[in-house]
Amino acid sequence: MSRWRAIWLVARRELLERGRSRAFLLSLGLTVAFILAGILLPTLLGGPDKPAKLGIVGTPPASFAPLLAQTAERAGVKISTELVQDEATGETMLRDKNLDGALVFDAAGPPTYVVRERGNDAIGQVVNGSVQLSGVLELVGQAGIDQAALAAAGAPPVLRELTPSDPNRDTAFLFANVGVILLFISIFTFGTWVLTGVVEEKQSRVVEVVLSTVAARDLLMGKVLGIGLLGLVQLIVMVSVGLIAGTATGRFSLPPTTFSAVVQLFLWFGLGYAFYSTALGVLGALASRMEEASNASAPVSILASLAYVFALLVATDDPAGTAARIATFIPPVSPMVVPLRAALGAIEPWEIVLSVALMLASIWLLFVVGARVYSGAVLSSGGRIRLRDAWRASRN
Amino acid sequence: MLEISDLAKRYGPVVALDGASFTARPGRLVGFLGPNGAGKTTTMRCIFGLARPDRGTTHWMGAEIDRLTRLRFGYMPEQRGLYPRMRVAEQLSYFAQHHGMSGRDADAATMRWLERLGLADRAKAKLEELSHGNQQRVQLGAALVHDPELLVLDEPFSGLDPIGIATMSEILHERAAAGVGVLFSSHQLDLVEDICEDVVIIARGRIVAQGAIDELRAASERRHLDVEVEGSGGAWLDGRTGVTVLERKGDLVRLLVGADADLSGLLSAASAAGPVRRFSFQPPALSELFMEAVQS
Repeated sequence: MSRWRAIWLVARRELLERGRSRAFLLSLGLTVAFILAGILLPTLLGGPDKPAKLGIVGTPPASFAPLLAQTAERAGVKISTELVQDEATGETMLRDKNLDGALVFDAAGPPTYVVRERGNDAIGQVVNGSVQLSGVLELVGQAGIDQAALAAAGAPPVLRELTPSDPNRDTAFLFANVGVILLFISIFTFGTWVLTGVVEEKQSRVVEVVLSTVAARDLLMGKVLGIGLLGLVQLIVMVSVGLIAGTATGRFSLPPTTFSAVVQLFLWFGLGYAFYSTALGVLGALASRMEEASNASAPVSILASLAYVFALLVATDDPAGTAARIATFIPPVSPMVVPLRAALGAIEPWEIVLSVALMLASIWLLFVVGARVYSGAVLSSGGRIRLRDAWRASRN
Repeated sequence: MLEISDLAKRYGPVVALDGASFTARPGRLVGFLGPNGAGKTTTMRCIFGLARPDRGTTHWMGAEIDRLTRLRFGYMPEQRGLYPRMRVAEQLSYFAQHHGMSGRDADAATMRWLERLGLADRAKAKLEELSHGNQQRVQLGAALVHDPELLVLDEPFSGLDPIGIATMSEILHERAAAGVGVLFSSHQLDLVEDICEDVVIIARGRIVAQGAIDELRAASERRHLDVEVEGSGGAWLDGRTGVTVLERKGDLVRLLVGADADLSGLLSAASAAGPVRRFSFQPPALSELFMEAVQS
């Protein structure tokens, strides 16, 4: 029997046994529920982009409607108008929250702006400005001055942004942040499964039976592979649900970087998971009981958490900065930093290639060293074993 | 044939094996005996590559034992262990496949062995739901399911009830009769004497005796002689030389004599004292050979 078949048998056992475990199904269901809730709830409750509704009672000056539209656009607010029969109806609609404001034009006196209570100032200012200017225009127009020239003179200044607004930027930012969170959760959830799986095998003593036919390094590799496939399944489900639900509800439109961001997410899940789960599996072999496992794994957990916090704080803030660039080439940190920089479009292709190469090399090194420690430690019984002793024992 | 040659192994300052050599023939039950710490488990671990000897070799059927050879072996370690949450049948099939069986063959063999072990109705139960005794049977099943050529069992009888012991011996006999090599360690010397043909006795990392139990007993210089003379109270022995009295119980005396003892002379002396109810001349029991071997 080939080594690969043995590795595959181990991987398949992990995949099947854990894939149908309550823990996995529950975690999958909950994650999907959270993602759906995060996307659907704001849409159901009314998103921030819903235009404000302005009710118009009576007849506004002719220039009011175009002025309102123009001012609203410049101010970056959305206002829709609808004609309302009389002031009483407008008040009722306001109270029922069918209107955000009612503007009453009365030939006998000045216009009245009715609101539930003082609130959205941007909308109030747009309405005020439009009413004032259209009133002035009306008067001046009667004096025989050119309406077009007047309107131009009364228009607000043209807005020029130094950084042109990009509707995709916010989405890219959202993707980058959510991506890093998903990566961290996935790497750690499934890395921990490798850790507990190793300790369980050791604690239940089944490992001696398994090792009578399977080499220790193949057992470790199969375990990492099987649980990793399960993690991949969960990540695929999470990303698909998020993208489909987000697009379907119009919460975001997919920026052109979506495809590469998703590819990077999966690539770095694979690399980050392989690195961290191998490290955790090796440390798990040093523990003899489940209670010791979290102590044994502490160095790796702390390292991963630091990498995560660094990615969220530093790399998000300045994805092309020196700190982020250096972190790109530090293997334990790069799985969090590179996909984030890629999602923000702030990484050069050569940087990705180099960081992937460094990551692969370090996984290989970790595996060679780790497999030796693992085989030295996994058969020993008694208390917790020191790394150095396990390294030596593997020669025996 | 299993050939262990000059196996040596140290763990730090502890010498586990110190040049152990023995052979075990297929088709025979071989008991592997020795006090705690004598090197039994280390020897077995060396056979399965779980410990690497500092010196010495292990051969099966003339070839050095490697990973592929081991796939044809079955192993039951002293520290029992299986996957607690895995279903019984899937578990056995998993181990069978690790020994190189195809999925289908492994499933078929699993069902056959579960039937044989009386566990067919628990095939879909998780291991942890089984009683301790039944978990032991599954453990044996894991060593047997792929029809190994060599069975190596570390203390297979420990923790078994009398019915479990009977089932285990029956299965081991059956395997040996099928031409399989069976090597198992045990501290239950009477049991080993009952069911084994051969023994290997190890002490302080060296083999101190090995061979067929009958031959070892016959080769002993000593014999036990039980004589019961009605109403004598054992008085007929008084003043007799060349015998050691091991035990006196009423009319019954148990004597230690040489293998060349003058039986006729002893019998006539006994007859002269009264009616002889028992006169039994026996080589020493395995337990005595064992004590003698490990203490020498």
